[in-house]
Amino acid sequence: MLAKLKKRPYIFFLIPGLIVYTALVVYPIISAMQLSLFRWNGIGEKVFVGFNNYKALFTDDYLMKQFANALINSIKLFLLTTLIQTPLQIIMAYMIYANMKGHRFTHIAIFAPQIISTPIIVFIFRILLDSNVGVVNNLLELAGLGNLARPWLGIPELGVAFMYLMITWGGFGIGMTFFLGAMNMVSKDGLEAAYIECAGFWQRLFLVILPQIKITVINLVLVGYIYSMTMFDFSYILGGNTGGIDGSIDVMALFFYRIAFGDSNPIGGKISENSVGMGTTIACVLFLLIFVIALLQIFLINRKDD
Amino acid sequence: MDRDLRRISVRIVQGLIFIYAGFNILMLIYTIYNSMRDRKEFLSETFAFTTRLSFGNYVDLIVKDGYFRFVFNSLLILGGAILLAIILSSTVAYALGHYNFKGKKFWQTYFLVGLMFPIQLGIVPVFLLMKRLNLIDSYLSVILICGASISMSVFLLTNFFAHLPEEIYEAAILDGAGEFRTFVQIMFPLASPVVFSMSILTAVNIWNQFFVPLIFLQSDAKKTLPLLVMKYTRKLLMTIDSAFAVSILTIVPIIIIFTIFSRRILDGIAEGGVKG
Repeated sequence: MLAKLKKRPYIFFLIPGLIVYTALVVYPIISAMQLSLFRWNGIGEKVFVGFNNYKALFTDDYLMKQFANALINSIKLFLLTTLIQTPLQIIMAYMIYANMKGHRFTHIAIFAPQIISTPIIVFIFRILLDSNVGVVNNLLELAGLGNLARPWLGIPELGVAFMYLMITWGGFGIGMTFFLGAMNMVSKDGLEAAYIECAGFWQRLFLVILPQIKITVINLVLVGYIYSMTMFDFSYILGGNTGGIDGSIDVMALFFYRIAFGDSNPIGGKISENSVGMGTTIACVLFLLIFVIALLQIFLINRKDD
Repeated sequence: MDRDLRRISVRIVQGLIFIYAGFNILMLIYTIYNSMRDRKEFLSETFAFTTRLSFGNYVDLIVKDGYFRFVFNSLLILGGAILLAIILSSTVAYALGHYNFKGKKFWQTYFLVGLMFPIQLGIVPVFLLMKRLNLIDSYLSVILICGASISMSVFLLTNFFAHLPEEIYEAAILDGAGEFRTFVQIMFPLASPVVFSMSILTAVNIWNQFFVPLIFLQSDAKKTLPLLVMKYTRKLLMTIDSAFAVSILTIVPIIIIFTIFSRRILDGIAEGGVKG
């Protein structure tokens, strides 16, 4: 037995990581799928109900309304990220790549918010946008435009937009840095050829660099999608358990949290009699939503290789 | 003519970038300034210039609220989780990258699954598991959970080990070093630049981790910095003096560390992203 293991030394290296990773990353996925078939709150009696939890999620008015609202907000976040943030990140990365004046300093200043934790980011935007002590309203008053002052963060219609602004401010640098890394890998031959053919500054970006970093772009769009579907902290800190006024900034992960861990706090509070069953059901729907898009992405990347 | 247009567009983008970077710095200064003001004064005369600045808010925070207790908690969790992640991911990656065996492709894919499914979604089964292990409200639960997300690092390091020349390994074995010693003394040190860049990413994630500590740490004595910050920033007007102070005290040290090591950190992240 031992001699057999000696011949396969890789087993020793594989085992510790395999155990921890399986127990805390893979097992929860499988366990969630199984638990979603039960009616259970983690303490009381566990009753097998088949796919009834899924049926309930999609037919119960109360749940469905929250689900639809959270999903729409998550998708809005994703679209804002992909359509606005990604192009800007590429342009900024390109400016730094092209060694614009002060590019080191700029890179640091844009990246720095990344290391600031979410509650502080939210706080900084609150002191900007608060209705009484906020910088924006005070500046408007100073400029004699006091009638334009608003309780900015209290406007449900603007909730997602402001939340998106905070997320972007905090997370802009990392994607930009990934793009920069990809640009640094682009072969210099193509660029030189483009230079000789008098391709301009922006043409070089669109015609030479962009096609070569396509895979990074697709990957980061997927990362953005997964992030939008599982983002929790901004929504929770800004809007509490309910996700703001009328769920204006409710997102998928917060909806999941509210159902699984109750209305008031992680432990105790109001936990429904089916918290585990319905919680894992929502998690499994989210798994599926992510899995489908991830497959699509793998398909896209492989097709390009042909 | 075309050239001028191009130059102008570059200038405009450049200008916008500077404004944005400048905004970040102005916000930092504004926050520092207000963290040294009295709460009542800030609320009544938000924009006024004052010379009555003091470190009172900071003293309150450190003495009354035991700020460094939370720093200690955060550091403990960060250190434990990073160490765990490095050990687990480098050994797994070494097995998957260096050795050849049946089913290797399967295990490589197996370890990638975590990239697609963030911890948030599996948290209910993990919670039940930790409850059974009696690890609720223990640092260990958070350390284990954060240290177990090794998909990305395994992927990066597997590539690295797979491309290391076989001769290095053979020479070590010929010299009589065992498999384990070869790994610890020769192969792992070679991977340290990759380990460094991946640790930076992991560290940023763990340091700002909000969801996992929120669910698993319940007693105040064990909470991490982001949870402390939330306590002050939640009810804005009542505790705004502490909120300013805690923000600055939390941001400034890491900004300084980050700025000093920025070159290595940013280059490390850029490299890590390409391979990921």
